[in-house]
Amino acid sequence: MKRKNKKFNKRPQNPLNKLSLFQKSDSRFSKKCPLSGKDAPIIDYKNVKLLKRYVSDTDKIMPSRITSVSQNKQRKLTSEIKKAKILGLI
Amino acid sequence: MNFYEHTLIAKQDLSTLELENIEKKYKDIITKTAGKVIKVEKWGLLNLAKKIKVYNKGFYIHYKFEAESKTLEEIKKNSIIDNSLLRHLTVKYKKLDTDTEYFKEKDANEKEK
Repeated sequence: MKRKNKKFNKRPQNPLNKLSLFQKSDSRFSKKCPLSGKDAPIIDYKNVKLLKRYVSDTDKIMPSRITSVSQNKQRKLTSEIKKAKILGLI
Repeated sequence: MNFYEHTLIAKQDLSTLELENIEKKYKDIITKTAGKVIKVEKWGLLNLAKKIKVYNKGFYIHYKFEAESKTLEEIKKNSIIDNSLLRHLTVKYKKLDTDTEYFKEKDANEKEK
């Protein structure tokens, strides 16, 4: 008789185990920077579609601990967002 | 010689003739001071994110050119005095990419829909 190895079977997490409703599950959270690596989008003040993703509803720049953008790219993002704000694009 | 990009926002209530004059004026300034215009893009009438001096919309004109610091001073002088402009911005680049146009694609997609 073969016994199923139950130890390594991942059980789906019970949603009631979470502390709060807004807590993200561990599997969904990615630590990779979305703006670096191969065929990453160009950070530019004309690329408004991309910049709008990294701005909150009240036009604040999102912190990198939420968006997981690398520090080098975050510096570029802030300067490009500020340029776009001067031209009234964001 | 360095590469630069320059964008203007002209006021909403200008006629087409006045817009062409503005476009010509800054083109001439660049060429007169030993510069080289590589590309001119007209983004057309776009909504501003916030009100700027009572206006909700503006005409965007975008230049890509190669020049020295002399022309930048000349452009800045003229655009500050100019009454028909709302804002202007120049950005220095090491390399210009003339292929990607972020604002032209949008219009084409909207027309298809």
